[in-house]
Amino acid sequence: MAAQPVLEARGISKHYGGIVALDDVDLTLEEGEVLAVVGDNGAGKSTLIKALTGAISRTSGTIRFDGEEAHIETPTDAKAAGIETVYQDLALVNEIPITQNVFLGREIVRDDWLGRIFGVLDFKRMDREIRELFTKLDIRITDIYRDAQAFSGGQRQAVALSKTVMFGKRVAILDEPTAALGVRESQMAMDLVRSLKDHGLSVIMITHNMQHVLNYCDRVMVLRLGRLTAVRKVSEVDGDTLVGLITGTLQGDAKDG
Amino acid sequence: MADAQNSSTAVSNPGATSRTFERLTHEFMQIWQVVAALALIYLVFFVLSPPFRSFDTLLSIFGQASILAVLACGTTVVLISGGLDLSVGSIFAVVGVSVGILLAEVELPVWLAVLGGLGIGAGLGALNGIVQVATGVPAFIVTLGGLTAYKGLAEILASGRDLSRFPDAFQVLGSGYVVPMAIMFAAAILTGLFLTKTRLGIRAFAIGGNQEVARLAGVPVKRSRVYYYMLGGMLAALAAIMEVAKLNFAMPARGQSYELFAIAAVVIGGTSLFGGRGGVGKTLIGMLIMQTITVGLSYMGVGTSYQRIAIGIIIIAAVYWDVWRRSTR
Repeated sequence: MAAQPVLEARGISKHYGGIVALDDVDLTLEEGEVLAVVGDNGAGKSTLIKALTGAISRTSGTIRFDGEEAHIETPTDAKAAGIETVYQDLALVNEIPITQNVFLGREIVRDDWLGRIFGVLDFKRMDREIRELFTKLDIRITDIYRDAQAFSGGQRQAVALSKTVMFGKRVAILDEPTAALGVRESQMAMDLVRSLKDHGLSVIMITHNMQHVLNYCDRVMVLRLGRLTAVRKVSEVDGDTLVGLITGTLQGDAKDG
Repeated sequence: MADAQNSSTAVSNPGATSRTFERLTHEFMQIWQVVAALALIYLVFFVLSPPFRSFDTLLSIFGQASILAVLACGTTVVLISGGLDLSVGSIFAVVGVSVGILLAEVELPVWLAVLGGLGIGAGLGALNGIVQVATGVPAFIVTLGGLTAYKGLAEILASGRDLSRFPDAFQVLGSGYVVPMAIMFAAAILTGLFLTKTRLGIRAFAIGGNQEVARLAGVPVKRSRVYYYMLGGMLAALAAIMEVAKLNFAMPARGQSYELFAIAAVVIGGTSLFGGRGGVGKTLIGMLIMQTITVGLSYMGVGTSYQRIAIGIIIIAAVYWDVWRRSTR
């Protein structure tokens, strides 16, 4: 049997007043796998990953990381643990350059008194690391000083995904990485997702695209109305079954397994 | 030897040179229209009004711009970060009166009184930021409250006091053209370096662009905001010190509407009212445009009331131009 899971969440719930957005959901992420999270609109997918990464506070639930209890209360806690998240529509700031977007929140300061006292940045080093990163991931963006706004949806998504390789030591969490992308751009983004595995990352990915689940993922968990209804190996399901589970025409079975 | 070293680093590190080049061309593309507008306005008055043509006129434009420009540097930072501070004119008043008291009554040494004034300004600015991030009340309301509250504080501090006749060493800070202009350029350069070279500074653009993205990326948004307001308050204090030194007296009525003039200059220069874009160089040019119009109209015998109408129209035109440019891009 494989080693212990990278990430293990138990009994995650999120209530907004009387509304239960997420009800006692379990999630297990094995080392090196791509885990799909599917469900209809309002099923609680985004709420689940936001609760996992500290972007919103959990009503209840515990998270274990590499077998140890992890205290993830803020996005910074998650990043410190090695979990890097690409939020849908909240990945890049339009008004600032690609360079600054990649290092946002983790800018490198100069290794001298200017850096230590005034926080003067080491632009040379950051630029070099970005160019190396883009070369490694085969991202063809040369004008890294232009504002993010100037780039296509596919290029922007590539930049956002590249951050998970730059900073995510263990886990990448992706909220609909192909939403709003064209067919060819989706293909490129998904190839990039697959390559995250080669860079030592385990991936949790929200998606609405059943083809992507079947082609790129190892396991899939189905959420419905805030509850976990099924977890399947991708090799053991087909598209129709998944759609049935999502819409509720097929009854789900168990807790996380 | 030194040359060989330089060229080898240039080759092994092409990113560095292209960053500078890209930045400069980018800056130029953003700023040339505003510079052209300034040149055009200057030229119009130059043609229309013979007395406007003297070098003294040019000096007085810079001289009048200097105090407001220092204040506007702080406004630039706050607006870039997506904030708004309507209270800087009142902070200006509190600091003016406080420095007057420190000099005339407490008889502190000049440098200590100046430091004290800067500290008070930074503190009141920080208070604006702290109240906002702690309560979630919008910037407009918090700093509107600050506008009247700080004004009241300045009046209480000043009542029954004669704050004038300051030491010569202090008056130097505001007299003539050279020192105020030097202070203005120093403040602008330091603020510009802060915004483009430091971690806290460049984060202002990210927070102003999309604070939720910045927060999720791990930027301490609330703490950073407090620092931006603090810097705004400190630069308002510096402007107040310059004006008290120039006039050689302090009174709580000074600084009225200065926040609006500062916002006007920032917006005319091309910094976005909605955050995320802008710069100190633009603000200096915006301030020069405003002062050129004011001085030029005065030379042509147009009264201050009409000048205000002209400035009002220009503010609206500047923002309309910005909106139009965005929509056509």
